[in-house]
Amino acid sequence: MSGLIQEVKLFGYNIPRIEGLREKARASFWMPTVKTQAWKYTKLHSLKVDDFVVEPSKFLEEIEGKEIEEHCCCGENCHQHGESCSCGHHHEEREKHECKCRNKKHLPFAAYELHFENGKFVPIYPATPSGVEIMTLMEAFAIGEENHLLGKYIDYAKYPFAALNTAYLEEGLFIHIHKSAKLDKPLALINHTYGGQENLLVNIRNLIVLEDDAKAELVEYYHYSGEPKSRYFNNIVNEIYLGAGAELDHCRYQNEAYKAVHLALNSVRIKTQGIYNGFCLQKGADLGRSETQVRLLEKNAKAEVNAAYLMNGWATLDTTTDIEHLSPETYSSQLIKGVVGGEAKGVFQGKIYIAQDAQKTEGRQLHKALLLSDTAEVDVKPELEIFADDVKCSHGAACGELDQEQLFYMRSRGIGEKDAKQMLINAYFTDVMARIHNIKIQEWLQNEI
Amino acid sequence: MNTPLLEIEDLYAGVAGKEIIKGFNLTINEGEVHAIMGPNGAGKSTLSYLLCGKPGYEITSGVIKFRGKNLMTMSVEERACEGIFLIMQYPVEIPGVPVTSFLKYAVNAQRKYHNQPELDTMEFIKMLREEGRKLGIDAEMLKRPVNVGFSGGEKKRLETLQMAVLKPQLAILDEADSGLDIDALKIVAEGVNNLRDNKRSLLVITHYQRLLNYIVPDFVHVFADGRIVKSGDKNLALELEEKGYAEFVKDK
Ligand SMILES: Nc1ncnc2c1ncn2[C@@H]1O[C@H](COP(=O)(O)OP(=O)(O)OP(=O)(O)O)[C@@H](O)[C@H]1O
Ligand SMILES: [Mg+2]
Repeated sequence: MSGLIQEVKLFGYNIPRIEGLREKARASFWMPTVKTQAWKYTKLHSLKVDDFVVEPSKFLEEIEGKEIEEHCCCGENCHQHGESCSCGHHHEEREKHECKCRNKKHLPFAAYELHFENGKFVPIYPATPSGVEIMTLMEAFAIGEENHLLGKYIDYAKYPFAALNTAYLEEGLFIHIHKSAKLDKPLALINHTYGGQENLLVNIRNLIVLEDDAKAELVEYYHYSGEPKSRYFNNIVNEIYLGAGAELDHCRYQNEAYKAVHLALNSVRIKTQGIYNGFCLQKGADLGRSETQVRLLEKNAKAEVNAAYLMNGWATLDTTTDIEHLSPETYSSQLIKGVVGGEAKGVFQGKIYIAQDAQKTEGRQLHKALLLSDTAEVDVKPELEIFADDVKCSHGAACGELDQEQLFYMRSRGIGEKDAKQMLINAYFTDVMARIHNIKIQEWLQNEI
Repeated sequence: MNTPLLEIEDLYAGVAGKEIIKGFNLTINEGEVHAIMGPNGAGKSTLSYLLCGKPGYEITSGVIKFRGKNLMTMSVEERACEGIFLIMQYPVEIPGVPVTSFLKYAVNAQRKYHNQPELDTMEFIKMLREEGRKLGIDAEMLKRPVNVGFSGGEKKRLETLQMAVLKPQLAILDEADSGLDIDALKIVAEGVNNLRDNKRSLLVITHYQRLLNYIVPDFVHVFADGRIVKSGDKNLALELEEKGYAEFVKDK
């Protein structure tokens, strides 16, 4: 079918529930073509080389007793030298077992950090408050905690890369916040990719469940260090379930290598009074899509899906949203802002669907972009499907350039042209950044622009 | 004799392919105050933009020197750092950039140009508040984005504040008095006068003699059709107030 689907033996090949999910997904995967509407603006040709490599299962290696060398990524010493250590890194000499992960990024604010390295979870768990349960997805399956939620509401006919992700189902976390539990600081999934891992295909699946009245902040951070031209494909799916009155602030920051591919799907289901506040900053990757599907299931469910993208070179970064208002008195708001330079291309596809009985519903959407060069491009496709008659719905899109008068004004005060542009770009993002509730996260991202 | 601060010789220039400045000459020495008066559309703002190096404004021939150095090859920011400051006729709004951080950035950019260390943030804020107070700009306004939602008079006061903080060698005032009420006019004039010493110079563009009662010029020039057509002392301004520009524009 496609070179992306390969034979690999993964953990749970003998567990029918897991293997069943994979099998169905393998059969369902399809590669979008130039004629596929949902991928009309975001071309996938950089994926159409059949040379992606899937690493062998870390879980099986452990189970099969393959000796796992401790390595310094885990704070331990690596006992190997002159060859690759199990974390995938190459150590030149025994004395210098500083592997690159020593430089692994931490966040500039306090968080419960969970690290992934080249797509593999590093099993060190922070001490979280009671009512917060974190385990690998495979563990959750093994002990029955997964509750048959995984993949339940994802339509592979619509989301082929979620099918791809499920075909390789193994890595990822199950995060379970019990009823009324609250976190005092954000949970952070930090995904490090290191150079020298050419063409690695990584699939991570996170299942995030907030029971009624639970409250949490979740940060996802994708970053890269090493050989700048390294090419890899991170394919991420987050399934998020918010119970009645549950609140999740979800902030994603994608800063992958400039030749990488990063596709992500967030599939969110919200019950009554539940609030999802999503934000995504996309900055890295050659091809990136951050797709968010929200289903407002019951009265007073609310969702914000905000995003910013900043790009140069030849990248294509895509923000796609699909908000379904399925009950009366539900609320959604989207603000997406982009700054595009070079020969890069920004894509925004935003859909608001309002079901027939979803009266007194409010759905808002605004996309704005700044083009920094003549060759930069932005494609916008808003879609409203409204079947109820008593609703407040709006959408808008605007595209502009840096204001030459403002630039001149700033420079006439002594500020260099480059700095003045940077200040204007920062200023451009202020309103969308202000929608991130946590000031520290806001400051972090503002500094990353 | 010292090198003049500004020398403009036989300048021809324009914008968008239209010639606006036609044989303009002016020399300003250190410490001097020159006023330029002239009818609408004469090219006064164009001249001030040319001095600041605004993109799009092109010089066809002539020379502009600042402290003996060729000004025409310098970028906008270099000219600012060299000490040229323009109070704009229409100050620009910059949403999302608060006055305080904007000015701090500008001051430090200029200090860096002169190899001086950055200012301490607390000290800078203290100084800014103090200068702001003199011009009737309170701490709340300093937090707002540059010029956004400022009234016409407030904008001019903010321009004056920037001048007070950046301490230019040559300040060009392009209708700094327009939109100001009588009290604000005095405040702005006072702000400008505070900066005056025997080294700094002013080029004051105005339509009204009134401003020149507060900022007393050494020379007054009549600017019509792209060049200076008459020069005199401060009494020339009074004369113009009475007779208008008819004498200068009719021979066109
Ligand atoms: N970008 C432009 N394109 C075309 N013409 C321009 C441009 N800018 C200025 N002009 C013209 O140049 C002439 C001089 O304009 P300028 O603004 O310098 O006049 P001014 O003397 O400052 O007038 P005022 O007293 O009204 O402020 C005017 O006729 C104006 O329309
Ligand atoms: Mg003018």
